[in-house]
Amino acid sequence: MRVKQAVLGVGVGVLAATLPLVAHHSFAAEFDATKSVTLQGVVTKLDWTNPHIWVYLDTKDESGAVAHWQCEGGPPNTLTRNGWSKDSLKIGDQVTVDGFRAKDGTNTCNARSVKLPSGKSVFAGSAEDGGPSKRAAPAQ
Amino acid sequence: MQTRPLSFIPSAALALFVASLAPTVAFGQVPGAAAEVGAKPANGPAPRTPDGKPDLSGLWQRPYVPDMTKTTKNQEGTADLPFTDAGLKAWKSYDAANGDYTGSCLPFGLMRSMNSPDPIQIMQSPKYVALLYEQNTWFHVIPIDKQHHEGATPTWFGDSVGHWDGDTLVVDTVNFNGRTRLDTIGHPHSDALHVMERFTRTDAMHIAYEVTIDDPKTFTKPWTNKRTFTLRPDWEIMEYSCEENNKDLYEGHIKPPPR
Repeated sequence: MRVKQAVLGVGVGVLAATLPLVAHHSFAAEFDATKSVTLQGVVTKLDWTNPHIWVYLDTKDESGAVAHWQCEGGPPNTLTRNGWSKDSLKIGDQVTVDGFRAKDGTNTCNARSVKLPSGKSVFAGSAEDGGPSKRAAPAQ
Repeated sequence: MQTRPLSFIPSAALALFVASLAPTVAFGQVPGAAAEVGAKPANGPAPRTPDGKPDLSGLWQRPYVPDMTKTTKNQEGTADLPFTDAGLKAWKSYDAANGDYTGSCLPFGLMRSMNSPDPIQIMQSPKYVALLYEQNTWFHVIPIDKQHHEGATPTWFGDSVGHWDGDTLVVDTVNFNGRTRLDTIGHPHSDALHVMERFTRTDAMHIAYEVTIDDPKTFTKPWTNKRTFTLRPDWEIMEYSCEENNKDLYEGHIKPPPR
């Protein structure tokens, strides 16, 4: 397991066009569009709560040091309508989370996608179309 | 796809209001549950209430409109907003990182609620139309054929009155407190905001929604945004408690708005 953090080498303007403007609050109020992060780790907890679900995971770097992360997902109502539930992810599941880091520098991220080792995405779906979607989970 | 059953009452006042509607509202468009999940109901002409008005009742899916200036498959916006000097200054100086009020679960206000992606339930009687917003479990009641209140305290959602213009419900709203933004990206308005909305149920499955934003302190002339709502008989409105686990605020990842 490892933590990979990369500052995207493309313009913020281009990114902004594809970034979610979260419904509960503006993305820019909390997260940094220039700081993408990919986390691979083990799920330790899941908050299936309003206004956002939260996935907690532990990652390890090459030296074996463990880091605790928390990543914000979509709103539970939208996810429920797209067929997901609090049982869609279990404690102990290995996941890969792609997202953006919080501006405050804590181990907090906005999850754009959560994938299991099989490649299956969980919590995918969008409030915009209401139906099952293969797109990455929007950060509503 | 599953929806949870309706299991909450937003407020005693709302419950009373809903109860008062019961004898007159046609609930036919608001089934308790989908008979066949995922089935597309047949379209047809817009239903009407017993008094002959178009019946707007139902649970409506709406496109998320985070930026009212955009024109996309979901909406027709106004690209170049006619800002006044003060309006342009308010827009250019806005930084959500300095305190997006919605992150604190403060009321979104009328326009940001209309622009949110969560569905709305519309309930209708000859005297009132009520919009129940799933977003944060808010509601807004629009008296029909009434006058605006004189000297009332400004509010987040404003003071609305409605009337029927043929088959279109026209809602006129004033007396805003000026503490909200029009959309997620943060387009500004002042306490002089005057919102004019037009709801037209074009057929059984759709409402054409057009809003005109008039605010002489912020814009030199009125401008519009249009979009379409889609009936979702297979959905029910769900509870949404913004305060339940607002880690963003509680852990200090976002700032509360200036007071």
